[in-house]
Amino acid sequence: MMDIAGQIVSYTYQYFDNCGFLLLSGIGLIVIYGVMGVINMAHGELMMIGAYIAVSSFYAGVPAPFAVGLGGVGAGVAGMIIERLVIRHFYNQLLSSLVVTWGVSLIISQGTLLLLGPSIMNMPTPLGSFSVGAFAFGVYRLVMFATAVGLIAGVWAIFRWTKLGAQAQATMEDPVMASALGIDTKRVYTLTFGLGSALGGIAGGMFAMTATISPFFGQNYTPLAFITVVVGGGASPIVGLAYAGLYLAGVQTISSNLVNVYIGYVSVIAAAFVALLVMPSGISDFVEQRRARRMSR
Amino acid sequence: MRRLSLSFIRFGRAFNGPQTLGNSRMFWTCWLVVVIALVAFPLLASRYNVLTASNFLISTILAMSLCLVWGYCGILSLGQAAFYCIGGYAYGIVAMNLIERHGNTDLAIVAGILVPGGFAALLGALMFYSRLKGVYVAILMLVTSLLLGLFMRQTADPSYVIGAAYLGGMNGLAPAKASDPSLPSIILGFGDAIVEFDGRGRSFYWLVLGAAVAVYLGLRWIVNSSFGYVLVAVREDPERTETFGYDVRLVQLAVFCLSAAIAGFAGTLYTAWGTYIHPDGFSVAANILVVIWVAVGGRKDLSAVVVGTITLNWISIELATWGEISMLVLGVILVIAMLVAPEGVFTGLGGAIGRLARRRTRKAALEAGPPPSTMLPRRAP
Repeated sequence: MMDIAGQIVSYTYQYFDNCGFLLLSGIGLIVIYGVMGVINMAHGELMMIGAYIAVSSFYAGVPAPFAVGLGGVGAGVAGMIIERLVIRHFYNQLLSSLVVTWGVSLIISQGTLLLLGPSIMNMPTPLGSFSVGAFAFGVYRLVMFATAVGLIAGVWAIFRWTKLGAQAQATMEDPVMASALGIDTKRVYTLTFGLGSALGGIAGGMFAMTATISPFFGQNYTPLAFITVVVGGGASPIVGLAYAGLYLAGVQTISSNLVNVYIGYVSVIAAAFVALLVMPSGISDFVEQRRARRMSR
Repeated sequence: MRRLSLSFIRFGRAFNGPQTLGNSRMFWTCWLVVVIALVAFPLLASRYNVLTASNFLISTILAMSLCLVWGYCGILSLGQAAFYCIGGYAYGIVAMNLIERHGNTDLAIVAGILVPGGFAALLGALMFYSRLKGVYVAILMLVTSLLLGLFMRQTADPSYVIGAAYLGGMNGLAPAKASDPSLPSIILGFGDAIVEFDGRGRSFYWLVLGAAVAVYLGLRWIVNSSFGYVLVAVREDPERTETFGYDVRLVQLAVFCLSAAIAGFAGTLYTAWGTYIHPDGFSVAANILVVIWVAVGGRKDLSAVVVGTITLNWISIELATWGEISMLVLGVILVIAMLVAPEGVFTGLGGAIGRLARRRTRKAALEAGPPPSTMLPRRAP
């Protein structure tokens, strides 16, 4: 009896773990994609910056939550600098912005490799574990999921209630019209990019407590983050991210339990292809279109 | 005699057109000089340099495949190296299984071209017929490549055997048993009439040079044909091309498959060159390199891409003596080139040379009097 309970808890736990992973690694990316239409290929490197800052400040005596926050601030500043220097010149050229951000990611990761060497750092996983039946579970994984939900709520609040959020939504709808109405769209883009990078940095700091970090740390997270964003779509980032995370984590949990972890990855990609066959511009575009159709009826 | 020379000129015209830079007689003279110099190169250079140059030429074939699909048709694939690697693995697996029975690698080369082409047909049909956004296609190709790399990395288990070939995980393709043949270099021909091209020798260099020239000329012919005009139309405005009655999805699928087949051919040559292939070819670094060559060279022109690829390869070889900075420098070159010369460094350079040459001929023509009549007489109505 206890065993079945443990099994059920184990599946649920894995589901939330996978979901938290996808949401955390995808949130910064999808905010930038939703507002600017740019998929930031340097996202993994911004996560890496966040992770390094978090770990170094943790060892300098900063408590873990604040260390993660510092990682977010550092990555956010780095993101705004990148936007000002490079990405600004590639608005309305989506494919070129993809390539140029990939170049930036190469510079950051290789630069870090030169600066810090291939040495790896890590940070202890806090908060111990609990057990149900024969299974033991880390509390921290649940904290990661809770953080992901918290960040999503935070982004939603920013979009809903702040002036920047209103301006960002206007810019998403129609950048030319927004700037004609006196919104400084360049400032909106810089701040959005900073926000997305900061979210990436926070995610990096969170992941740093579960994995070793190296200059290529980000590459472990970006493939699934890209898939999540592509499936989610840019029409309304929050809705898209949430649906994509819930859907893909479900597929991953089931298939990696039934077969193995690698098949889990493959089935995530397969699930993404299936979703895109039905909804070619992502879930959130599909939802928006259906809503619009219902409204017009 | 006159008719012969005329048909020769007409044949030559098939390679010229607005889709490519370098259509003048001056350009083709220089081109011929360069090709002859490249043919003569192994007679003068050291063994190591010939080996390196073979690899450079293989890289140009890969770069041209991305140039075709991205530069001419506007489909960016961030995972072009995946097709290269699939071609390499396909060649290796088939060659190791058939070399003892057939004594040649003809079928293996065909496999190295058709397998990536078929894989591209499958993926492309899914992506283009569901009308995915260009950004999505780019990202999905990269993720596919990384995933294949992940799969190949975990094939160190002895159960991953295909006939006489063992996938071998991180160590790359190897014979399944000690008695099985090792990965062969290219052997062309049938039965006893065979020619062997050893990857480390001059003959292999000449084979690769011939292949690169053939791919270059073939692609110049394609992009300047009516199909090439459709490709460029799809790049510039897919909706408008569709209203003119072209099936944009089919055009995209066709060019995607062709590009994958060419990339696979390059991968085949690469595997034969080093007689090894391993999963690092699917990595981020391998994929980004191809994009750097094409973007820096000038994605919208084949000649610019070839010159760019060779120059950047040469730079990375030179930098390799300085330690691990070559990838960093290539990243910096990419970002600066995209900021300063968004259309590519060598496209800009080629355009400038062309303008200069035209200005000089115009000046000369003004001084000489009325312009000379055109080379070809008008065709009778």
